[in-house]
Amino acid sequence: MPALLQYAKRGVDALRRDRSTETVRGASPGTHLQLWVLVLAVVFPVAVAVIVSTKETGVVTSLGDLLPGSYAVENYREALVDYRFGRFMWNSLAMSLVIVVGKLVVSVFAAMAVVYYRIPYKDLVFLFILFTLLLPVPVRFVPLFQLMNDLGWSNTILAITVPYVASATTVFILRQHFLSIPASIVETAKLDGVGPLRFMLFVLLPMSKGVLVGVSIIMFVYAWNQYLWPLIIIDSEANQVAQVGLQLLQGDVQGGQLSWSLVMAGSTLTLLPPLLLMIVFRKPLLKTFNIQQK
Amino acid sequence: MTTVTLRNLRKKFDDVVAVDGIDLDVEDGEFLVIVGPSGCGKSTTLRLLAGLESATDGRIEMDGRDVTAVEPKDRNVAMVFQNYALYPHMTGRRNITFGMKSSGDFGDEEIERRVAEAADTLDIADLLDRKPEAMSGGERQRVALGRAIVRDPDAFLMDEPLSNLDAKLRIEMRAELARLHSTLGTTTVYVTHDQTEAMTLGERVVVMNDGGIMQVDEPQRLYDFPANRFVAEFIGDPAMNMIPVDVEDGRAVHDAFEIPLPLADAGDPVAADRNGVGEESLDDGRRAVLGVRPEDFRLPDPRTDDGLPRIDATVNVREPLGDSLLLHCSIGDASCNVQAAPRTDVGAGETVSVTYDPARLHLFDAETGEAFYHSEAHVSEAERPVPASVE
Repeated sequence: MPALLQYAKRGVDALRRDRSTETVRGASPGTHLQLWVLVLAVVFPVAVAVIVSTKETGVVTSLGDLLPGSYAVENYREALVDYRFGRFMWNSLAMSLVIVVGKLVVSVFAAMAVVYYRIPYKDLVFLFILFTLLLPVPVRFVPLFQLMNDLGWSNTILAITVPYVASATTVFILRQHFLSIPASIVETAKLDGVGPLRFMLFVLLPMSKGVLVGVSIIMFVYAWNQYLWPLIIIDSEANQVAQVGLQLLQGDVQGGQLSWSLVMAGSTLTLLPPLLLMIVFRKPLLKTFNIQQK
Repeated sequence: MTTVTLRNLRKKFDDVVAVDGIDLDVEDGEFLVIVGPSGCGKSTTLRLLAGLESATDGRIEMDGRDVTAVEPKDRNVAMVFQNYALYPHMTGRRNITFGMKSSGDFGDEEIERRVAEAADTLDIADLLDRKPEAMSGGERQRVALGRAIVRDPDAFLMDEPLSNLDAKLRIEMRAELARLHSTLGTTTVYVTHDQTEAMTLGERVVVMNDGGIMQVDEPQRLYDFPANRFVAEFIGDPAMNMIPVDVEDGRAVHDAFEIPLPLADAGDPVAADRNGVGEESLDDGRRAVLGVRPEDFRLPDPRTDDGLPRIDATVNVREPLGDSLLLHCSIGDASCNVQAAPRTDVGAGETVSVTYDPARLHLFDAETGEAFYHSEAHVSEAERPVPASVE
């Protein structure tokens, strides 16, 4: 594993050097070969999924089966229309957006409180927030299930979003970012009599745009990939999300008719929204990770 | 117009006393500079004035009104920071108007008019539509000044505003600040660690150390009559030489030399008044530290006799500064700096004969470091020798 990391590091370094003509010799063909091997290793399963989704049955038994088939349109149409996968995707999207917005609102306020206000035992409060990271989500499932039932939220979007709107990770990232904003900027606002809400809306949020976009992407991908909790709390097909809905694409499993091509079409579809977001917002995303390193 | 008064002001951070019970009066329209080394409490004092820190003890008054517990925004002071503190996502204009709009005390037309005025005063009209990232350091600081002056505050508080600028720009901005102050006449408290800035800008200068005020005086008096060793060594570059001596029979006695200490007739009111150290006491046997600035030593012309004692000094290092030549010398076991004429032909290792300006001797108590004698107060103009040095 360390060897692999070394390769990756060298590869990244080589890519960086590539930009300046002076050290272009550093990016040797060997380095490129290593990089390609690594990239292929990562991309291979995804590529197989995409290829299989274009086949009639999608059973891969030989290398020859890894050539694209001609059933692409048919498979995707069947998944989206016949199996109502579009509906699941829509539910996933709604869930993810609500979680992202909710998390942003809660985390911005929490981080603001932790950074800019004098609260007794502030460090302890922050430590407590971080402490929640140590508690894996599945541990909370049983009491949470009970709670959702008591509230009558089962099978609703509330059940799959509200438990996720508080996020220690996001509070932490935002806190680090807020701390990196020069104190004098905050103090200038104080001297000018800029109120806390105005400060948040016109100073803090615009100055945090990059980080907010970055964490939003991370949170979106995390929310989009929720599987276990929706599986437990949602039992009506109409309200189900894409990750769980994939299972319904298997078709007549009992009859030995497991249609891999449909499952892979669904998988490919679920990949698309996070992928698009990552491509569009890759710059702020990278910046956010930089901030975490500070 | 505003006077600022600090009474027994104290600020403690946990176990560290940053400001240790200081008293200070800032007069209406005055440009007061607080200077001192890092950690002396000067910035904390300014932040206490702004209300950004709360005082542990003591009072802050503005125009006689107790503002110790008043919120920063209600003190009507404007602060200028070392890092400019401009909002990076706002244009120059928005940076200037944002605070005014937030406070809600100004109408739109009023704001427009004031921005135009400030832009005119500071010559920043072409910066108003640019964001800070497209401005140079000096331009940013000018916009930050603009933001401070549009609100027409009772007092300006400046926290090392020129420290981030390069040397040339700093000198320009220094002149700009002086001009601005003479135009506006607003009470200004200015914090810096740079003694040149303090001397050039301040109408009065406060020297702070270890949370306490060492001396408050006009710049020239600070230089001529330092109240203690700290001020003497802090103000002036290169720093004042400090040589341990014993006072005997009206003379400062060191192993390597003896120099007479001029003393005006007892009870001379002028001397007592000019000296600023109260009753003189040149008691025999008192242990003291003799302070002489490098430029008050000189290499005399061997052909003339000014009647002053000669001191033998061995040159260790010579530092040509262009406008003068700084010689690091040893006089007996004491090391001291002598400022000579720029093209003086003296090399390291040579022994030179040095004399001094008898009107520019200072004595500090060996224990407390307090000044107890400045010879300037005892020497009339007529008695001062004409400077003569070997070219």
